[in-house]
Parts: sequence; structure tokens; C-alpha cells
Amino acid sequence: MSLVNLAHVCSHMQNASKARLGLTSIPVSKMHVNIALGLQREGFLSSVTLGGPTPPRPFLLQAQQDPERLDKMAEKLAAEPWLAYPTEETDDQGKKLKSPLGPEQVHEVHVPQNPARRRLWLGLKYWQNEPVLKNMKLVSKPTRRIWLTSEDLGKITRTRESSYVKGLTHPGECMFVTTDRGILEARECVERKLGGMALCRVW
Amino acid sequence: MSVCRPARCLFSKATATSLPRPPPQRSFHASASRPARKRRPHYPSIKAEDLKLLNQASEAEYPKFDTSETTLLEKKYTRAQIAAIKAAESTIDARDVLTQGQRRTDPWRLNYEDDLAEVDPVTDRPEKLTGDDIKGSKNFRLANDVQRDENIARITSENLAKMYPEGVPEGALDNQEAGRLKSSTEAAFSQAVLDPRVSYTSNNPAALESLGDERHSIVAPDLPRVENRMARQTRRLSTEEEEDPRQKRLLQYLGWEKQKLRSIRVKTLVVHGVTNQTRMGKIRSLYYLTIAGNQDGLLGVGEGKSVEPEEGRKQSVMSAIRNMRPVPRYENRTTFGDLEQKVGATKVQLFSRPPGFGLRVQHLIFELARAAGLQDLSAKTPRSRNKMNVIKATWEALTSQKLPDEIARARGKKLVDVRKVYYGGAIH
Repeated sequence: MSLVNLAHVCSHMQNASKARLGLTSIPVSKMHVNIALGLQREGFLSSVTLGGPTPPRPFLLQAQQDPERLDKMAEKLAAEPWLAYPTEETDDQGKKLKSPLGPEQVHEVHVPQNPARRRLWLGLKYWQNEPVLKNMKLVSKPTRRIWLTSEDLGKITRTRESSYVKGLTHPGECMFVTTDRGILEARECVERKLGGMALCRVW
Repeated sequence: MSVCRPARCLFSKATATSLPRPPPQRSFHASASRPARKRRPHYPSIKAEDLKLLNQASEAEYPKFDTSETTLLEKKYTRAQIAAIKAAESTIDARDVLTQGQRRTDPWRLNYEDDLAEVDPVTDRPEKLTGDDIKGSKNFRLANDVQRDENIARITSENLAKMYPEGVPEGALDNQEAGRLKSSTEAAFSQAVLDPRVSYTSNNPAALESLGDERHSIVAPDLPRVENRMARQTRRLSTEEEEDPRQKRLLQYLGWEKQKLRSIRVKTLVVHGVTNQTRMGKIRSLYYLTIAGNQDGLLGVGEGKSVEPEEGRKQSVMSAIRNMRPVPRYENRTTFGDLEQKVGATKVQLFSRPPGFGLRVQHLIFELARAAGLQDLSAKTPRSRNKMNVIKATWEALTSQKLPDEIARARGKKLVDVRKVYYGGAIH
């Protein structure tokens, strides 16, 4: 697991947000995907899409439901809001029942067969003319990995320094840690009492 | 051992009673030996005559209370309290108070001279009475015309009696006296007309009296007018104050009252001369950088430059007040998280700190933090420490903070302040 590529991703994200890009791509690896999903969960990214060298179609250019059907769905949902949740109901023959809201619209994205040509497309967010993700920095370096216990992480999330890692003192700062349960946010690690290798901090 | 000693032994008068004197001690010090120095008592010794005078003075100053006064005390205090007072008085000798009494130097002393025997209208809280102090019913109603005229006559004569304590002069008066009597009668009459005791009447005379009693009024009495030369010379009427057109414009721009402008703390932090090289020669002028803040979350920085020093300073003050921008403060004491701002080659890092930490920052940032009303802060200026740039960078950092609510909105998260839950909402 090389951290050099992650370092490139960090710099690239900072540069992309400085340039006010709406969509950018990074090379695909399991760690990148997990970190991108973590960033999306924390609200730094609007979308994470696996695609090829050309960017996926933006949402507004994707095929949409026609407005009449949307109205009908809205009426149905207003009457029975629980229909919004997917169901696994089957009939007598074990065949899946049709969804009460009609068939789901799935947008197909072309993913190249050749893994080397695959890219991970990330949608960047902006709020009040300011990028949501402004800074992204490595904590462990390729030449110096830092492993943190859950106690260390507890101190760090409470803005105190621990194990030569500065506390999360910026407002809204997050740190990603790779653990044996996957890549998690530092606060989640504290909650689940997990330690691991610190990857990067984002604010 | 002294060399003189044998000689002295030889020449000394041999008397039976004279004991050999102790050898003189060699002094190792420049100052005289302790027995040689004149000893002074800690307190001046008092002669018998003076003591008599002192006793007289102490009796005058601290008299023994006779029985009538102790009976008065009994009205206010319980028997145990009086016993305690007497015991306390007996333990302190009045002479000790006179001879050893000192001025207090402890931090809890009053900041003015007072033996607390009288109520001073300026420094002391005025005596107040409430409705409970009125005995009987508290009803009163509007007086009819007859009662009103009667009351006016009564209160006028009361007021007049106050103005002439020796009695109103009667008989033939000279011009000056008559004029004085006339004006004081008019004053007494107009006072009586305005008195609330005139227009109302009550079955309970105590309730009626309370209407005219200042101790029942919620309006504080006027401060006494100080009359001396200094007061006369420094007294200014509001109309006499000169209007600064620049200040007037500033007030219009801010939409503020003049009073509000006085609460702004202004400080000029940077002054230096600058020169403009023209083909005629150098033109020197002065540059001023001023900060302004209301010590409650508003902070501004302004610059001014002029050939006239006072003009430049005023320019900078006005622009600082005009440039005031809100500084978000966490719990009204520190910043939201750590801040970093760069202006030119100057980088300023500000760190939020826990309560009671204080302003451990360099002087320029200290002034800014104080003007903004921050109490806990530390800072670093790792690079250039150019004064102007440090001030500007700090100001920009403080005013462009990102609030947690904003960050949560931007990330689409829901933010809940749990302290409001834990401490029953008892936080800032």
C-alpha cells in the first residue's frame, strides 16, 4: 500500500478545489475508493462514480423520469411514505414483486474492461463561493507511517496532540484512519474503540 | 587585642569599685555597633501631660453611651446583639484606636474616604421605601377643586417656610427684600402646583405623604451640582460642543447615535513618516494605522495619511470605525478553532484556547483581540512581523472565520450543540 499515490490524490483535490472544478478524477485503487466514499459520507464530496477516461454524464443530462410519472409517484408517496424504502417481497413462486412506485431508473455508466483505464470521478462541493474541501494532507508519510491507538485518536479528536499527530483543531476537521475494519473516520474509530494507521486529514 | 590596653591599665585610676572594662570589640562594619546606635521605640513615648490630653480627646471622640442611647439601641437590636456590641467595644481601648489607628491599605478598603456615618447622595445607594412601608390603606383618589386649592395653600406655605427658616418677613420691606419675597412665593407656589400631594387626596394621610416622598420615587434624585472654579471652567453645554463634519458624516453612514460612538475603543498602533518624491522635491506626510472595536465582537482597521499629523490620524480613526466588521466568538471569549492568514510575507496563526487562558499573544494581536472582546487566545507569527501586515492579517483571520453551522450546512450535516443539553442550556 503505497502512500505516494494518496499524496498525489491529496494535492490533486486541493488543486481542483482551488480551480473551482465541479468534477475531477483520480486513479482507482481500493484505498482511494474507500477514502472517496468516506469523504462523501462526511459531506466533502457530492458524488463518487467509477468510470472511464471520459467523465460520466452529469445528473441533468441523464435520462429523467417524465414529469407526469414523477407527479404520480409524489402523490403515492404522500399517501404511503414507507414506499420510499426498497422491499424484498416475493410472490408464491419466489418471483420478485413489482415495485409499487414503478421500475427504478438506473443510469448506466461505461466502465472500461481494462482496469488501467478506469478512473474514479469525484464531484466537488462548493458553498457560498467557498470550496467545502479546501485542505487535504497526509498524516502518515510514505517514509514514516504513524499508527494510532483508540486512546490516541480520542485525544486527537478532542484537539489535543498525541503520538506526534496534531489535534483536529480546525473547525470541522476530519481524519481518516485505515483499520482492520476498513477506512474509517477518526471519530468513528473512537466510537468503536479501533486503532489503525492515520492516512490523511481533511478540512 | 588593642595596643592601648597595657597603657590604659597603667594610667587608670585604681579604685576598688571600678571593674575592668570589657575590651573594646573590634568592629567589622562601617556602621556603628548596635548599642552605639540610638535606639528609638516603635511608638513615640507619651508624656503624662499629653496622655491627659489624649484621654480627654478620646472621651470626646468615643464617649461612654448613657442609658438613653442604649435604650435607642434596644429598639433596633436584640439583647444578645447589644451584649455583643458592648463586648466588642470593651475589648478595644479608645486610646489604642487613637494612637495605633491606621489608614487601611488592604484591597478591600473603600476607594473614598468615609466613616460610613452619613448617607452621601453621590457615593451611597439612596434610601428607598416600598409600599410595605406605608402604614394603613394605600388608596388615594383625585382631589376635587376645593381640596386642591386647600392643598395648594398648605404646601405653598410649607415650601415658603423652608425658604425662610427664620419666618417670613412682615411689615414694610425695602425693594430688594420685597422682590425676593415675591420670587420665592412664586417658586413655592409653582412647586406646590406640581406636587402630587395637591392633585390627590386620601383617607390615609401616610399614603398621601408618600406621594411627595422622594424615597418612594423610582426616579433617582438629581446629582448635586458641584460649584467650584474647576467645575465652572470645564462645564460645557451640549450646544457648545463643536461638530466635526467628518464625525457627522460617519454617524450618518453608520446610522448611530453620538453616544454609541463613545463606547468604541480606538487605538493608533502604527505611525510612521512617508515621503513622496516629486520633481519639486520630497513631500513628507505621516501614515497612521488605527484599530477600532466595541469590545463585543466588532473590529475594524483603518489607515490614514496626510501632511497634517492630526488630519491623518483622524482619517485613520474614521476609516477604522467605518470598517468595523463582526468577529464571531466562541462563548464570547475565543475563536472558532485555529485560524491562519497570510498577508504579504506575514503569516499569522491564531489558536483558540480554553477559558481562563488569557491573551498570550504579541502586543499588536493583543490590542486587536482586546478591541474585539476576545479573552482566550494564543498566536504565532512565524514569518515576517511587519506591524501593518500583522494587524491586517489578524483582522482578516478574525473576521473571515468559518462557523460550525456554516460548515455543517455546506457538508449537508446536522449539527447539534450538546452542551445545551448537558448544562441545561446555561451556556453563552
